[in-house]
Amino acid sequence: MKKLEPGMAYDTKKLNKLFAFLSILFLMIVVWVFLDDYIRPWKAVQIEAIKIKQAKLQEKYELAEKDINKEKLASLEKDLAAAKASAQEKRAEIIKVDKEIFKLQKFLKEETITSGVLNSKVSATNFQFEQAELHHKGHDVVEKYYSMLTDYKEKFAASKDRMKAYQGKEKELKKKAANLRSEVTEAEKSINKLVGTRDLIKKALAQTEMGPIFALRNAPFVDYLDPTLKIQQVVIESITDDRYFQQVPKVDRCMTCHTFIDQAGYEDQPNPHKTHPNLELMVGRDSPHPMKKTGCTTCHGGEGHRVNDLGSTAHTPQNEEQRKEWVEKYNYHPPHRVAQPMLKLQHTEASCVKCHQGVEFIPGATVLNEGRQNIEKYGCYGCHKIPEFEHKRKPGPSLLKIASKVNKQFFKNWVWDPKSFNKHARMPRFFEQSNNNSKDHPNYAKKNVAEVNAIAEFIWEKSKPYRPFKKYEGGDIEHGKELVTSVGCMGCHGVEGADEVSEKVNAYAGPYLTGIGSKVDPDWLVSWLKKPDHYQEDTIMPSLRLTDKEASDIAAYLLSLRNKKFENFEFEPLDKKLRDEILVTYFSAFDTQAGAHAKLEKMSDRERTLELGYRSVGKYGCYSCHNIDGFEGRGPIGPDLSVEGTKPLTQFGFGIQHDVEHSRDGWITAHLKNPRRWDIGIDKPFKDITRMPNFKLTDREAYTITTAVLGNTSEKVPLAGVKRLDADEKIVAEGMQVINKYNCVGCHQIDGERGDILAAYEDDINEGPPRLVGEGHRVQYDWFHYFLDNVYPIRPWLSIRMPSFNLTDEERNKIVAMFQHKARQKTLVDRSKVVNWEPGERQAALQMWDELACASCHSAGFDASTEPTAPNLYFAKRRLRPSWIKKWLAGPDKIMPGTLMPSFWMDGEAASDVLDGDADRQLDAMVKLLYEFGTDNLPTKNTKFWSKQ
Amino acid sequence: MKELINWAADPIRSFPVVCILFYFMMKYYRVVGTKKFLGWSLVFIIPVVVWFAADPNFFTIITLPDNIPIVILIVLIGFLQWFTFYKAAINDNRLDEGLGPIEGLPENREKVWCWPNLVYTELFMIIAATAFLVVWAIVFKAPLEEPANPTWAPNPAKAPWYFLGLQEMLVYFDPWMAGVVLPGVVVVGLIAIPYIDTNPKGNGYYTIAERPIAMWGFLFGWLVLWMYLIMVGTFLRGPNWTFYGPFEFWDFHKVVAEYNVNLSEFFWIKWLNSPMPSNMFVREFLGIILSLGYILALPPLTAMTSYGKKMIESVGQIRYYIFIVLLLLMVSLPIKMVLRWLFSLKYIVALPELELNL
Repeated sequence: MKKLEPGMAYDTKKLNKLFAFLSILFLMIVVWVFLDDYIRPWKAVQIEAIKIKQAKLQEKYELAEKDINKEKLASLEKDLAAAKASAQEKRAEIIKVDKEIFKLQKFLKEETITSGVLNSKVSATNFQFEQAELHHKGHDVVEKYYSMLTDYKEKFAASKDRMKAYQGKEKELKKKAANLRSEVTEAEKSINKLVGTRDLIKKALAQTEMGPIFALRNAPFVDYLDPTLKIQQVVIESITDDRYFQQVPKVDRCMTCHTFIDQAGYEDQPNPHKTHPNLELMVGRDSPHPMKKTGCTTCHGGEGHRVNDLGSTAHTPQNEEQRKEWVEKYNYHPPHRVAQPMLKLQHTEASCVKCHQGVEFIPGATVLNEGRQNIEKYGCYGCHKIPEFEHKRKPGPSLLKIASKVNKQFFKNWVWDPKSFNKHARMPRFFEQSNNNSKDHPNYAKKNVAEVNAIAEFIWEKSKPYRPFKKYEGGDIEHGKELVTSVGCMGCHGVEGADEVSEKVNAYAGPYLTGIGSKVDPDWLVSWLKKPDHYQEDTIMPSLRLTDKEASDIAAYLLSLRNKKFENFEFEPLDKKLRDEILVTYFSAFDTQAGAHAKLEKMSDRERTLELGYRSVGKYGCYSCHNIDGFEGRGPIGPDLSVEGTKPLTQFGFGIQHDVEHSRDGWITAHLKNPRRWDIGIDKPFKDITRMPNFKLTDREAYTITTAVLGNTSEKVPLAGVKRLDADEKIVAEGMQVINKYNCVGCHQIDGERGDILAAYEDDINEGPPRLVGEGHRVQYDWFHYFLDNVYPIRPWLSIRMPSFNLTDEERNKIVAMFQHKARQKTLVDRSKVVNWEPGERQAALQMWDELACASCHSAGFDASTEPTAPNLYFAKRRLRPSWIKKWLAGPDKIMPGTLMPSFWMDGEAASDVLDGDADRQLDAMVKLLYEFGTDNLPTKNTKFWSKQ
Repeated sequence: MKELINWAADPIRSFPVVCILFYFMMKYYRVVGTKKFLGWSLVFIIPVVVWFAADPNFFTIITLPDNIPIVILIVLIGFLQWFTFYKAAINDNRLDEGLGPIEGLPENREKVWCWPNLVYTELFMIIAATAFLVVWAIVFKAPLEEPANPTWAPNPAKAPWYFLGLQEMLVYFDPWMAGVVLPGVVVVGLIAIPYIDTNPKGNGYYTIAERPIAMWGFLFGWLVLWMYLIMVGTFLRGPNWTFYGPFEFWDFHKVVAEYNVNLSEFFWIKWLNSPMPSNMFVREFLGIILSLGYILALPPLTAMTSYGKKMIESVGQIRYYIFIVLLLLMVSLPIKMVLRWLFSLKYIVALPELELNL
């Protein structure tokens, strides 16, 4: 060992070496720190984007280059050379003029200074003068300032005058110079016209160049000054993020990597450089949801302010396949504890609801609308509180008088398994599910049988008497079938025997008509068909004004549909022991076992059955969908779904179902497909097993309903950010609720939406119910109101009928107002003022009437020998608005594509030579004519279609 | 095997085991403090650690960025503790032979210059420590978490690692005790050590034989009550602060049957079979007497033993009583833990009316 110096514990040289080593190590680590901070994944993405842009611009540049007419360019360049040569000749003159301008500049500048000095002196002296006046400084002082002021003002005016003279001269000289050069400038201009586009692209291309300046601006340490690679963001004040203690404006930085998301022309690029696929509706500058106002995560969800990587921003893959791809390509990890990760792409429409509320239908949100339609179809809102569905009526039929409609045996078998009677039944199945089937849970299944028996007894006990007002006396089955498929039943009902059409129309407002013969009482049926509200006052089933014969024929057809297998089902009788056992569990909820038994002992046999029936109706929530006596005002039995889309994932019970994806949508979809699956492998007593029934939803239905449910969140968008309905839209939204309640859209297509039954009229759309396009503009307010209550045939050649609905006054008003406000037509028509003939106009109108042969189709009232194929024009005066008639005549095909009405005034061309061939005047004349011979009376149901009255 | 380790790791079982290990370690420190022992220990421990780490659940727990300091801590504490024993064993052997400690040899008493021997090497340590921390910060980045949500706290919600021992104490004590009184006593007690401990032996050199009470008492508090509880809190407490074995998956839904009963409830309802008195002091009188007796009567009693007398003689009355009270407070922790495990005892004195529970 080396001997150390006295007073030293270590060798100094060794210490120095160690110090050097540590210093270098530390320096390297400092560099590492900077590099670690500098190298960000999004920078690579942005460089990639610049390259893509370059390639695109290069392509454009080449196209522009190709577009340039080379010969023309050459000749223009020749012209330029010639012009330059001739300018050369005038060189001396040009130089002279330029020199003069140059000299003049000196005088101009000098005068500018002079006038500037004088101007300020005028202002300052003026102030002193006014102060002297104000403070009564004495006559002399005031006088002195006044004379000074006058003097300056005169000098200033003189200076201005000189200035004007110089300016005039300068203008003159410049014009002269320009004239001398005009040939050259003209030639240059025409060349520029030819190559301007190319040169602009060239400039843009130069801007994307990644040269030394680019490198310098983005170099480490100096890239804080003015980098080109930087985080891009939008800050949206009107939409906030919930930071729990505060609502903060939304900051979205998605466009840092999604570089061209708002620019058209990058549709062919892979993500993240792809253009938004729906630029017209979303993100685009002119769309209703521009990026700067709406942001990205407002709809997609996720952590918009993060730019670390794919995972931390809470991107959610659409499916397992994509997840695997992301893991492989981008090392994707789902983010750590993000409460609201991005919605899967297929669920994005859920977010529409955040801002668009109070409307039945959101244009463009196809999945969401479909999901809501499915919620309505299956009546989810009966048991669950779901926003936007609060006003809906109970989805199932009333059971208040059920005893007169079906028999008890049918009722029990139906409740046990609705789909075995009608495979299209929307009534879900409560029994024989994974948590109560007779194989795995025989005791539970037996108890279910007791419950169903008791429910039937209870319902029958409560059922009020009803006597059909008509007797069924047989009918023509074939004719009945024809009627069912033609008068319009299929707008709301699927019908056995017309299955193909039923599938096309996919109607769901009423039940699928199958096995009716095994179900209902014949007298009840025929009475129901004639007058539905006789049996149930608040039914939405309308009267189709059937004759007795028609009603009997339809009844005959429906009664011929039987389900023999179902008829033969024998429902097991009530097991009294099990009944008592279930009752004891109910009674002992707040009582001891002995007390519960004592209570039971006091009840008679009948009382016990009815008690169990009552309890079971409450347990399964039958009353949520059906009107049942004794359950008025009871709350829904299912959980509130108002904030399901933000319910913490930890609050979803996944049970031991490990194959269900651990996400909100994964749970909801699985739940919709089989609600009872969470009970599998879980020990639960009979009274506690999950009760949500099985609707046997298709994958598509479960998916769309999931989307609709996910939209209900606790996220609050500030008032400034949400879509606020204007006065018109509010009335439309209210009216649409009534429209949907009565399923008007089952038959009528309203401004392009729905019109389900039209699917059955693909061959000739004019045979179907009329499409309502701008209906509020077409018809008059008062007529519409009258018509809804006094339906009369407008198009008697159609076999489908407009039904007579059982509308309340309020509902009728809402429907009428909805159409009027949808078309932004709010006024009544002053019919007396329309007809005011100009000289010769009436004659011309009559001439056109003949020329265009209006009466050949609109023959009613004009030509008794021809079968009319268009509405009676005598009734048009009370029905149609004059401005609409004019619009209609000008282009019926534009309003209603495929209409039989010919376009006589196609594209503004005159239909005749009369009135100087002026189309506009011709149209006015025709409107006046219709109003002149139109009747002021409204038709009644007794009015003959072809009459003039 | 893993099942067995999971089962044994529960504090109910592992705490006594750790106490016994501590006893043997202290008793046979001269064996422990040899290079041979260290070598054999490593030969045994390294494969075991590798086998442990091969388990995905265990691996997840030890590699959590928050838990890495604890892993480093275990290695460091293990080595430093062995180093102490190693040095002390050499010295104690020399002392037995009548020689002085190694640190007292003339060549080790020689003085050296402050610069560069101290200042320069301190600078090295500053640079090395900074470099280490920077690298650590780059490699294990601080996680970017979601905004704090008062309605959705992280589960398990864990204190910083150095407080995990205290958090573990919350299982056994009222927050007021575990969160305020006991840590306060720890701090005050540590500050008081130089004033209580006036024994010059052991100054400047490693020894255990010459300072048995100081070494046993301090190391029990440090290794068993502080370090061991931090390790339990870090590695073995999962969601809902439920115990999870080292190989157990942290299933959020794990439920453990625990129902704790107060001493007064034992006394009145179980033993006397009578209703609880309505006066809270009467109700809790047994606990109050026991507690007061523990802290007030025990010190004078111990003073009467021969051992106590000897100590009073050497350090004086005041120092002795302060020392014994601090020691009793420290020991109260394992006592309460054992009572909880054995009898599901909730509180010895339960006065929720006064927010005073012991």
